[in-house]
Order: sequence, then C-alpha cells, then structure tokens
Amino acid sequence: MNVRPPATTPRTESQKTPRSRQGYWRRLAVILAVIGPGIITSNVDNDAGGITTYSLAGSEFGLRLLWSMVPITGALILIQEMSARMGVVSGKGLAALIREQFGAAVTFYLMIGIVLTNLANTVAEFAGVVAALELFTVPRYYSAPVAAFLVWFLVLKGSYKTVEKVFLGACVFYVAYIVSGFLSKPDWGSVSREILTPRLDFSTAALTMVIGLVGTTIAPWMQFYLQAAIVDKGLSAKDYRIIRWDVIVGSVTVSVIAFFIILVCAITIHTHGIHIESAKDAALALVPLAGKYAADLFALGLLNASLFAASILPLSTAYTVCEAFGWESSVDCKFEEAPQFYILYSLMIVLGAGLVMIPNAPLIPIMYFSQVLNGVILPVILFFMIRLINDPSVMGEHVNGRLANLFTWLTAVAVSLLSIVTVVTAVW
Amino acid sequence: MESLDHNGAVWNFCDFLGHRVIDHQGHALGRVVDLVADLREHDPPITGVILSGSHRRRQHLSWTWVEEVLPDSIKVRSGAFDSLSAVSTIPGEVLLRKGLLDKQIVDTGGAKVVRVNDLQLRKRNGHLVLSRVDVGMRGLLRRVGLLRVTTALIQWLFGYTMPDNLIAWRLVQPVGSPDILRLKFSQTRLARLHPADLADIIEDLDRPERDRVFRALDIEMAAEVLEEADPKVQVQLIQHMPTEEVSDVLEQMSPSEATDLLQELEAPHAQTLLQEMEPEAAQDVRCLLTHDEETAGGMMTTSFFSQPPLATVKEALEALRREASDLDVIYYIYVEDQQGQLVGAVNLRELLTSDPQAPIESIMVKRVVTAALDDKKSDIADLFVKYGLRALPVVDHEGRIHGVIRFKSLLEAVAPYLR
Repeated sequence: MNVRPPATTPRTESQKTPRSRQGYWRRLAVILAVIGPGIITSNVDNDAGGITTYSLAGSEFGLRLLWSMVPITGALILIQEMSARMGVVSGKGLAALIREQFGAAVTFYLMIGIVLTNLANTVAEFAGVVAALELFTVPRYYSAPVAAFLVWFLVLKGSYKTVEKVFLGACVFYVAYIVSGFLSKPDWGSVSREILTPRLDFSTAALTMVIGLVGTTIAPWMQFYLQAAIVDKGLSAKDYRIIRWDVIVGSVTVSVIAFFIILVCAITIHTHGIHIESAKDAALALVPLAGKYAADLFALGLLNASLFAASILPLSTAYTVCEAFGWESSVDCKFEEAPQFYILYSLMIVLGAGLVMIPNAPLIPIMYFSQVLNGVILPVILFFMIRLINDPSVMGEHVNGRLANLFTWLTAVAVSLLSIVTVVTAVW
Repeated sequence: MESLDHNGAVWNFCDFLGHRVIDHQGHALGRVVDLVADLREHDPPITGVILSGSHRRRQHLSWTWVEEVLPDSIKVRSGAFDSLSAVSTIPGEVLLRKGLLDKQIVDTGGAKVVRVNDLQLRKRNGHLVLSRVDVGMRGLLRRVGLLRVTTALIQWLFGYTMPDNLIAWRLVQPVGSPDILRLKFSQTRLARLHPADLADIIEDLDRPERDRVFRALDIEMAAEVLEEADPKVQVQLIQHMPTEEVSDVLEQMSPSEATDLLQELEAPHAQTLLQEMEPEAAQDVRCLLTHDEETAGGMMTTSFFSQPPLATVKEALEALRREASDLDVIYYIYVEDQQGQLVGAVNLRELLTSDPQAPIESIMVKRVVTAALDDKKSDIADLFVKYGLRALPVVDHEGRIHGVIRFKSLLEAVAPYLR
C-alpha cells in the first residue's frame, strides 16, 4: 500500500532553470539582509539636522573644525559598540533593560524625555523635507502633509523592511558628496594639516558648533534603535564579531560623509565668504559655485535623509515606549490590539509635520533646539548604559573591561560637559 | 474572623518596599527591599522578607517571624534579629522584585505578553498570598507617584474613572526565572493555550524568555508552535537548540512546513538537520526542497493518502485509519496507478458511504482538478476558488502525482494580500 509517491521519479528539467536564477536572487537578498543594523543606524544618523550642522560647520569655519570628526567618530564607535553588545548578549532592547533594572518610575520619566527629544527631532526631519522641497519650489503646505502621509502610509500599510531598503539604497546618493568633494579640488595638503594639528578654538561660536556636531552625530534615539534592530534580527553572541565590524563600518561611513559635506562647504561657500544659516542656504549657495546639478544633488540628499529619518524616528519612539511599558507593539496588529503604539506613532508624525506647517515656523531654531534636547538626554542615557554594561546579571562575562570603561567614562564626561555647555549657551 | 480574613485587606507589593521592619522593643532590623513567595503553591504564600540592614547588607528573614503588617511597617516577634540569614531561595521560590516586578509575564487568559507594574497581595486563611498582577495604567502611575494627580485630572476633564487592570495569579505564567519552567509542560499554564496563540506570545517575548518558554514545550507542541511562528522567529528559536532536538521537532511538523523552515536556514545547518532526521521524513523534505517556494511544488505537502485502483473500499479505510495520524490531508483519497499516475480521487464521505467490497476504481471521480508543479500562486488560488476544493493534487508533465496543496497552505500564501 503506497501512501507516498515513488521516490524514483526524476525531477523534470523545466524546474532547473528558474531555480538557479532564484538561487542567484536569493543570494543577493541574503547580502541585502546582511547589511547590518549598524550601517542603517549610521545612515539614519546623517539626517536633516546632521546635514545642516555639517554644512554650517564647513561654511562658517572652513576646515578648522574638520579634526573634531576624528574624536567624534571614536566616541560614536565606542557608544554604538556598547549598544550592539548589550543587544547581542541580553537579547533585550535598551528600554526593556532599563525598565527591568531600574524600575517603573525612572523609566517613566526617561520615556517622557525620549518622546520629547524624538518629537523635536521628527519636527527637524520634516523641516528638512520642507526645506529640500522648497528648493524645488514646492510650498510647505503641500510637502509637509504629503510627506507625513507617505511616511505614515508606507510604514503601516506597506512593509517597513522594504521602506528601509529603499532609503538605504537611496543613501548611495551620499557618494555625491564625496564626488563633489573631489571635484572641488581641495588642497589635500592643507586638509591633512588641519586634521593632524587640531587647533583648539574656545570661542563661543566654535564651541557651540562642536557641540552641534557631537549632538547630531551621537543622538540618543540611535542607541535604542540600534539595540532594538540587533535584537529584532535575532543576532546573538556568536555574531558579535561581525556586528562589531558592522558598527565600525557604519560609524566610519557617517563620519566620512560628514567629512566631505564639511569639506565641500568649506572650499566653496567658506572661501567665498558667504554666510549661510541652513542646509537650504548651502544648496542655494552651491548653485553659482558648483553648478545647478551639484545643488540639486545636495537638495535630493537632504530630502532622502530627512524622509528616511522621519519614517524611522516615530516608529522607533513608539516601539521604545511600548517595550518599556509592555504594551503590544507591531505594525501587524490591529488598532484595537495596540492602541498605544498606533496613537504614539501617528501623533509623532502629525505633530512633527504639523508644527512645520505653522506659517513662518522658525525652522532653523527648531532644528537647533532638537539638538540641544539630544544633548540633554544623551548623558542620561549614557549613564544608564554604563551601569547596565557593567552589570554581570545583564551582561554575564561580557561586561566592560577596565580600558573600555575608562574610555566610556571619558566619553560620557566629555559629552556631558559639552551638553551642559550647550544648554547654558542655548538658555543665554 | 474567617470572613474578615477572606475579604481582608489588599496590599500593593510596591508599598511594602522601604517599610521598616521593627521588633517588639521597637528596634529596627532594617528596611524591606524584597519579598519571597513560594510559587509552587496555587496561591503563592509570602515565605520571607529580604531586608537591608546596617551597612546596607541584604538579609533574609523567614515570614514566620512576622506578627503584624502595619500601614507603614512590619512588626516581628522578638528574637527575629538572631534568625536573620544570608539571602537564599529554594527552588520554586522567587524574589518578587527581582524576579517578577517590571518583567514580562504571560497572561494566559488574554493570551498575550504583558509587563508587571505591581503585584497585589491579600490575606487568605491567615497567610499573606500573591493574588493578582497589576498590568494596568493605574499600577504604572502609582509606581511613578502620579496616580492621584492623573486620576483627578482625567476625572475632572472627561468624567472618566481609569479602571484597574489586574490579572488573577492563577491565569499568569511567569517566564523570568529559569526554574519555573523546569515543570513538565503539561503542568504549566501555557499548556492551556492554542498553539497559534502560544506562537504569538513567543514572538512577543524578549529573546531569553522566548528561548526558555520554547525549550519548555513538549515535542508535539513545539512542532505546532513552530508551524505557526513567523519564519524569522522560527530560525531564532531553533538556532541554539541541539541538532537532535530540532530534528525531532522537524519530524513532527508537516513536511511542507518543515521544508519552508529548512529553506530559511543556512545550507550547512539545513543539511545537518536533514541527516539527523528519520530517513523517511528527510526524504519527503528533500523532494520538496527541490521546488521553488512560490510555485505549486513549493506549496505542496507529500504527506497525502493514495491507493491503487483495485484496492477495495474496506482496504482503503483500514489503511487510512492506520496512517491518518501522520497525514496532512485525509479528506481526499488519491488513486494512483502503477506508474504513479493520478487516475482518480475519492472524498472521505463517498468512501464511508460506499459498499466496503467495491473497488475504489468504481467510485472514484476520474476527472480530477490538478495543478502543475510550476503553477504560480495566483493560478492555484483561482483553481481553489473555482472548484471549491479543500486540497489540490500537484502532478508533473506525465500526470504523476507529487504532492497535494492544502487549503491552509494557500490561505497562508494569500493572507498577506488580504490586509
């Protein structure tokens, strides 16, 4: 009695061709899937605030602040590595770890801080979208609601993973910055001199700019996002080496792009003594200096960066808060199953785009304010991270070594000092 | 007295924290930092208190020394000081703050994962027991210290009283502490859940808890949960399990589901698992692995039931009874000639109502609706809709049957487009 078909049947030829093509695509898909959380986080890090700050740094100070990207990259790698290690070892998100180790009250107030900071950042992203599209003469009353709806719709009704890949692919545009960097024929001798012999400038303007650079490069939401992405991918301790490389490559990428944005603005805008106040100004200033296409590319880069971050920040915030309080959170859920998640997510987008639409909304102070908030929250997060990463009940044998702790504390203290200075200067 | 005890006072665990522990002479032994409960009991009694005494040293005091629980302190009998000991728990005991508070638990009633905001204690038969788990907004706000302000504000603004959200302890499965899941699976409260719900719960848990719960399942449940889980979660769940255990679970799964899972794995890992599996099950999976997931060949299962044309109805029924537990499709009986060609099909109703001595050939339907191995999902969906089928046989160019697509597999394939 034969229940199963005879196993001797040879497979027909016709299936072979599509299968091998399938294998090729699959391999490509695997490579795409391997593009790690670290690289994605870093690319989101080059957001509206980032591009603005880098352009300002270049056009206001020329090459003088270029050196600061070196220690900033170091700090970024150090902090991101801790997030990655915590994700890999504990298998939990940062919000969950903070809740479990420090209790509900601490978590509650921290989450209020995170929501406010991320909201300010989201506003800044939409401001970036608006500014970029205004360069193509699209008025903000169209661009902001359309962008908000697009982001909201794509993530909730489409697949976030697809959205992520599209934006990540679009990040290849950033190569444009590097190309324009070479095209503008900088004097590489003086560039390397500037990096190797840092000139400390303690003027308020320079200090504020350095703080802006730190605040935009090492943002608080990144630590939550990176750790969550690693946990979500199901990476574990055996993947740790690869993840460390992912983090390093990502952090270096963000810095290289930042480096070239500063460079381009330094040799074009700064050398011509033009004063700018925003990324939009920078793009406009580039038209006579570097040509229309360079300016358009600059604007497209800003648009892509802002849209990418605008679709990630609200989502990341909603996930973080729901994780901390144990609320259902998934774009696969119905509204009734995850009301807090959907309300938070939608509110972030509505407020983010809505505030930008207020007539004559001061977009530049908004972007600046978002970085100040980043600066206030970051030391707090760093403090929790250092506590957690030294807790054997969380990290087991993977707690920080003495050297790592020394550097982490140095970074934390430096960032905290800078943050305090930022707040003080902002209040004045 | 009894009834007073029964409806007696209710305490929030967090209110205990920081309370002073004093003896009869008014000496303070320390402050409460945690309570110990024995989770092996149905109503877990509080068996001890962890207090932080001089030099912030943590010490354990058995609950038997407690005389009275006062609003702001715990009164203990004299002599308690001498019986303070180092912090230790026996298996089955848990520290409420360290092991439950702020952690994830499974609400088996609502079939979801929630975070513990507070724990409610109550007097029952003279014992202080753990009675309910607070997972609501009120509990959270109480922890934060904003309960009064917020409730008053909401009451004033909307005339809405925020409800408590408490789950009875009997409906809760803690997943934080390893030894809780050392119980036999059938004894845990998770055994009451439907595999599909359990799969959702496992997806919602953090990774350590997720692995712990999955490892606690018995093989049948693990196979069913794995079938229901998201592909990404499937891979994570089996990643760190010993190969023998995974292959046991794979054998329990339907061949088509097992194939889908193996396709998600890296090739060497999948090969190792195939080698570890029973030859027969492995053979089925190997056949299915040669097909593209998007086509009929990739959607079908090989675990169907077929009979030669000359078998009698009685023989077929007997064979079916023997095989049924291992089959994915039992509603249709496919009739296969010696060359493996599909010559007809009978449904179970016809088989049951026909003369036992009649050859299958005489009752079978000869024009069977079939799909080709490389048919696309959309073609298959059309066939299911047009003919109102429960399962669809898949044949090659020579008309030989290779497998059967279940309605369930089709539903899984088209579900993403229904949203």
